[in-house]
Amino acid sequence: MSTTREVREIIREEPLMHGDILRALSDGPHTVPEIASAIGKPSDETVFWVMGMRRYGMVVELAEPTDEGFFQYAAVKKADGEDEAR
Amino acid sequence: MKYDALVIGAGIGGMESSLKLGDMGYKVLLVEKEASVGGRMILLSKVFPTLDCASCISGPKMSSTINHPNITTVTYGEVKTIRRDGDGRFHATVRQKARYVDPAACTGCQECEQVCTVAVPDEFNSDLVARRAAHIPFPQAVPKKAVITREGTSSCTDTCPAGIKAHGYVSLIRSGKYEEAFQLVLDATPLVGSLGRACYAPCEAECTRGDLEAPLPIRRLKRFIAERHYATHDGPGVQPGEPNGKSVAIVGSGPAGLTAAWQLARKGYRVKILDSAPEPGGFLRQAIPVYRLPQEVVEQDIRNVTALGVEIVTDTRVDDLQALEREGYDAVLLATGTPKATSLGVPGEETTAVVSGLDFLRDVRFAEAPDLEGKRVVIVGGGNVAMDAARSARRLGAVDTLVAYRRGREEMPAHVAEIEDAAKEGVRFEFLVSPVTVVVDASGNVTGLRCTRMKLGEPDASGRRRPEPIPGSEFVIKCDLVIPAIGLVPDTGPFDSHVAVSRNRGIQVDPKTLQSEVPWLFAAGDVVSGASDITHAVGQGRRAAHMIDRWLNGGELDGFEALDDRLAAIDKAKVLSRQKSYTHRDPVKLDVSHVPAPRDFAEIEPVLTEAEAHFAAGGCLDCGVCSECGQCVATCPANAIDLSQHEQTFEVDVGAVVVSTGFKLFAADAKPEYGWGKYPNVITGMQMDRLLAPTRPFNTVLRPSDGKVPDRIAYISCTGSRDKTVGNPLCSKICCMYSVKQNQLIMGALPLADVTMHYIDVRAAGKRYDEFYEESKELGAAYIKGRVAKVTEKPDGNLILHYEDIENGGGLAEAEYDMVVLAVGVQPNREVERLFEGEPLGLDEFAYVAEPNDDLNPGQTSIPGVFVAGTASGAKDIVDSITHAGAAVAQVAAHLEKAAHTLRVLKEVAR
Ligand SMILES: Cc1cc2nc3c(=O)[nH]c(=O)nc-3n(C[C@H](O)[C@H](O)[C@H](O)COP(=O)(O)OP(=O)(O)OC[C@H]3O[C@@H](n4cnc5c(N)ncnc54)[C@H](O)[C@@H]3O)c2cc1C
Ligand code: SF4
Ligand code: SF4
Ligand code: SF4
Repeated sequence: MSTTREVREIIREEPLMHGDILRALSDGPHTVPEIASAIGKPSDETVFWVMGMRRYGMVVELAEPTDEGFFQYAAVKKADGEDEAR
Repeated sequence: MKYDALVIGAGIGGMESSLKLGDMGYKVLLVEKEASVGGRMILLSKVFPTLDCASCISGPKMSSTINHPNITTVTYGEVKTIRRDGDGRFHATVRQKARYVDPAACTGCQECEQVCTVAVPDEFNSDLVARRAAHIPFPQAVPKKAVITREGTSSCTDTCPAGIKAHGYVSLIRSGKYEEAFQLVLDATPLVGSLGRACYAPCEAECTRGDLEAPLPIRRLKRFIAERHYATHDGPGVQPGEPNGKSVAIVGSGPAGLTAAWQLARKGYRVKILDSAPEPGGFLRQAIPVYRLPQEVVEQDIRNVTALGVEIVTDTRVDDLQALEREGYDAVLLATGTPKATSLGVPGEETTAVVSGLDFLRDVRFAEAPDLEGKRVVIVGGGNVAMDAARSARRLGAVDTLVAYRRGREEMPAHVAEIEDAAKEGVRFEFLVSPVTVVVDASGNVTGLRCTRMKLGEPDASGRRRPEPIPGSEFVIKCDLVIPAIGLVPDTGPFDSHVAVSRNRGIQVDPKTLQSEVPWLFAAGDVVSGASDITHAVGQGRRAAHMIDRWLNGGELDGFEALDDRLAAIDKAKVLSRQKSYTHRDPVKLDVSHVPAPRDFAEIEPVLTEAEAHFAAGGCLDCGVCSECGQCVATCPANAIDLSQHEQTFEVDVGAVVVSTGFKLFAADAKPEYGWGKYPNVITGMQMDRLLAPTRPFNTVLRPSDGKVPDRIAYISCTGSRDKTVGNPLCSKICCMYSVKQNQLIMGALPLADVTMHYIDVRAAGKRYDEFYEESKELGAAYIKGRVAKVTEKPDGNLILHYEDIENGGGLAEAEYDMVVLAVGVQPNREVERLFEGEPLGLDEFAYVAEPNDDLNPGQTSIPGVFVAGTASGAKDIVDSITHAGAAVAQVAAHLEKAAHTLRVLKEVAR
C-alpha cells in the first residue's frame, strides 16, 4: 500500500505517530511493513516516520535484515527503563 | 565595512576563491545563504573517479575557510543588492538572518533537536527524512551551530491578544507532551482552565487550516490540557520567585489582576489583591454563566495564584489609592474592569422589573436569580452580555426570550457562536428596533417595552452603519422583565481626583507601559480599554506586570516581547503554497447538546478525549515552522537559544565581486513519465548520493516504499539534460559520472544487488574517467543503450521500465526493477539575476552567468569587477569547479591591482 500524500504533510505528522509506532514495537522489533500494518498506515509513510525516529534515537535497527530483505527496528529504551510511548 | 572582495556562495567554488584570495592577502567577505559552508559537495557520498570520501576532502577546506584570518564568513546570510559606484567599487547590502541561537554559546550538542516538536523535510537529505525546526544543518556542518527555522509568527499565536503561544501548545499536544503544553500556557496566565472554556478564540478565526476544511479547535485543546493537569496535579508546578523585598497591591481580581499577580509573584514580589466582590475572579466569577464556565474551573485557576503566596482579600472596596501607597506598597495596579452597566435612558427604566444584564448575571451566579418560570423576557442589546443573559433567562424558565437589537444581525458585536447557540436554545431575535419607554401598568408591573423600528444610515466612528429611527413605527413588545445589556463602563469615580480619566471613563495610561500620570500607579484590563474580553485583559495584566517590574528596578519601560516584539505574522497564502495538495482531515466534531428549552446550568460542551485532542493537533500546518513551544530553550545546556533575536542588515564596500552561487538540480517531477513524486521507489541521483553517504538518512540503501533492501536498481541517465522537451538542450556533464560512481558504491554496499544503467551515451571525458567507467562494467554493472520512454508501478511497488534497446535490435523492451534512480542534470541558479541593481549581470542563452570572453578570460562577466566561479556559469564537476575558481581568483587579483582599489592602496592614499 502506498500513498500519494505530499512528503511535507507526511513528515509533519511524524510527532503524531511516535506513540502509535512505539506501541507497535512494545512486543519486540518489527519491519516497516509489519509496523505499517500494526498502525494501519501505508508503508511508504511509515518509512518516513521510522527513519525520523531512528535519526533522533527513538528506534534502532537490528544488525541483519530478514531473509526477505527487511531490517527490523526496535524501540530504544530510555535510561530509566521506560520507552518513549506515552 | 570595507573588503577587497565579496564572494557570494560558499560551495566548493566560493570556498576555493575565498581561500586563494585570502592567502594572497586580500580581505574577503564570504556570504552563504545556508547555515553552513560547503555547498553541494559536502552532501555527496564519494567523488568520482577517485572514490575519495566527499566530506573528508571538503571538511578541511570548510574549516580553513571559516578560520582564515583574511576571510569573514557570514553563514545564514544573503546578499540583498549590489550596486557599482562611480569609482568602480561596489556597495552591497547584506542580510544576516536570525539563527535564534547564539553561535558563540552553542556547543553543537544537538539536544534541542531531540526535544523539538516540529518536523519538516530535511533539505540536506533531499527530503528523504525529517529534520526538526531546531537543527544543525548536517553532522559535518561548519560552523556546527544550531539554527531554528522560523518563517514568521503563526497566525494563531499572532492573533492571541494574551500573547499565548497557541501554535506552541498545539505542537506539544501533537507530540503527546500534555503537561508541557499546560505549562506553556501557564507561563502566560494562571487562567488556563477558564480560557479553555470561555475564550472567544480569535486564534481559531485566523487558523490557516480554516482555509482548508476547518480551523483547529485551539480553545478546546487548551481545555483538554487544563483538565488533564488539574486531574493529575496538586498545584501549578511553578514556584514563586526568590522574594525581592518589594510589594505590589492589585485592585481587582479579574483576569487582568490575577494574571499580573501571577507574573509578579513569579518575579519575587509580595502581592496582595483587593476586591470588593465576595469572591475573586471578576467577571469569570460574577458574570460568565456556569454552563460556559463552571465555578470549580475558575477556582482551580485562582488556586494557581494563591499557591504562589498571593494574598486575595475580598469584600474590600478600595476608594483611596493613596492609602495603599502610604501603606508601603511600591506600586499599585488598578484592574477594576467595567462593573457599571450603561442605562437605557428611557422612561420607566427605574422600575424593579428592569434589571441590567450584568446585575442579572451576577444574581444568577450568586444564586439570587429571579424565578422566570412562564415569564416573557426582553433583552436589549446585541453583545455577548446580551447573549449570556438571554441564554440564562431560558434556563430560569422564561417562556419567551427575545433579544431586541437596534442594528442587524451582521452588525451584532456578540461572538457568532454565541448568537448561534442562543438561537439553538430558543432565543428569538428582533433586529432594527430600539426601546422608547418601558410600559408599566397601574400597579407598577412591567407589561411591555415600547420600541421604534430603525433603519441603517451612514457609518459612524466605529465603521458600523448608524441606526436611525423610522418615524411613526412605534410598537410594543409584551413582556414581564426587561434586561438592558447595551454596554459596560468602568467605575472610576473614586479615583478621579488621583488620576486622569479618559472620555470612555477609563483610567488614562500610556498604552505601551500602562503607567498613569502617577508613576507608582498602573492600570490594566477593561478599566483602561473599556469592555473587551479575557484575552485582552490577560495581555494587559502581563504587560502591566512586566512594566511594574521594569519601573521598580529602574529600567526602561519597554521590552515586552510577548506582544510588542513578535516576528511578523506569516502570510497564510505562503503557508498554503508549501504544498500542492492537502489531504482532507475530518474536523473533530463539536458534540454540544443544545436543547431548545434548556432547564439547567449544566455545562454543555464536553472535553475532547485524548484521541480527539491528539488527532486534532495533528492537523496543524506549522505555519511559522517553529511553534515557539520553548522546549529547546528549556533544554539547551548552554542557554544558547534566544527566540527574540532579529535579523540584521549591514552595508559593505568592496573592490570586486565573485559570484559562486552554484547550480540548481533539475526538478524530476518535470518528467512526469518517470513517476518521481508519484512512485516512492523512483528517486533522484542526489537522493541516492545521500543514501550512500556515511551520514545517510536510512540505515543503508533501502526502498522508500517499504524499507526493503533493493535487489535490482536501474539508472535513467540524462534526466532533464539534452532534452528539448524540458527546455534544456545542454549536457549536464556530471550525471553520467556520478551514476557510474553510484553504480560502484551500490555494488560495494549491496553485493547481491544488480545495477543497470539506461543511457544515451556515456560521457566519460576527463582524467581517469573512462577507466572508471570500464572498471564499473568489469565489476558487474550493466549498461543498456537507449532512451527510457516511461516508468510504471506494480502493486508491490516494483517498477517497470519501458525502454528502447538500441544494441539488441532497437526494439522496445520492458524490465522490472525494485528501485529506479533518475540521473538528474543541473540547471542555472537564477537567484543571481536579482542581485545587481542598475546594471544587470549578463546571462547566456541558457540563463547561466555569461562569460563574454570565456575562451580568453574565463571567470570575467559582463560587469567589470564582477567575476564568476564554479557552476554558476555552467555545469562542472568538482575538479573543474576548483580550476575555474582559480581562474576567477586570478582575474580578481588582476582587477584589484590594476584598478588600484585595494584596501592597502586606499590606506596608503589616506596616509
Ligand atoms: C547527485 C550529484 C552527485 C555529484 N557527484 C559528484 C562527484 O562525485 N564528483 C564531482 O566532481 N562532482 C559531483 N557532483 C557535482 C558537484 O556537486 C558540483 O560540481 C559542485 O558542488 C559545484 O560547486 P559550486 O560551488 O559551484 O556550487 P554549489 O556546491 O551548489 O554551492 C553553491 C553555494 O552557493 C549558495 N548560494 C546560492 N545562492 C546564493 C545567494 N544568493 N547568496 C548566498 N549564497 C548562495 C548555495 O547555498 C551553495 O552553498 C555531483 C552533483 C550531484 C547533484
Ligand atoms: S541544545 Fe543548545 S548548545 Fe546544543 S546544539 Fe542546540 S542550541 Fe546548541
Ligand atoms: S521553540 Fe519548539 S518548535 Fe521551536 S525550535 Fe524550539 S523546540 Fe522546536
Ligand atoms: S494551522 Fe496550526 S500554526 Fe497554523 S494557525 Fe492553525 S493552529 Fe496555528
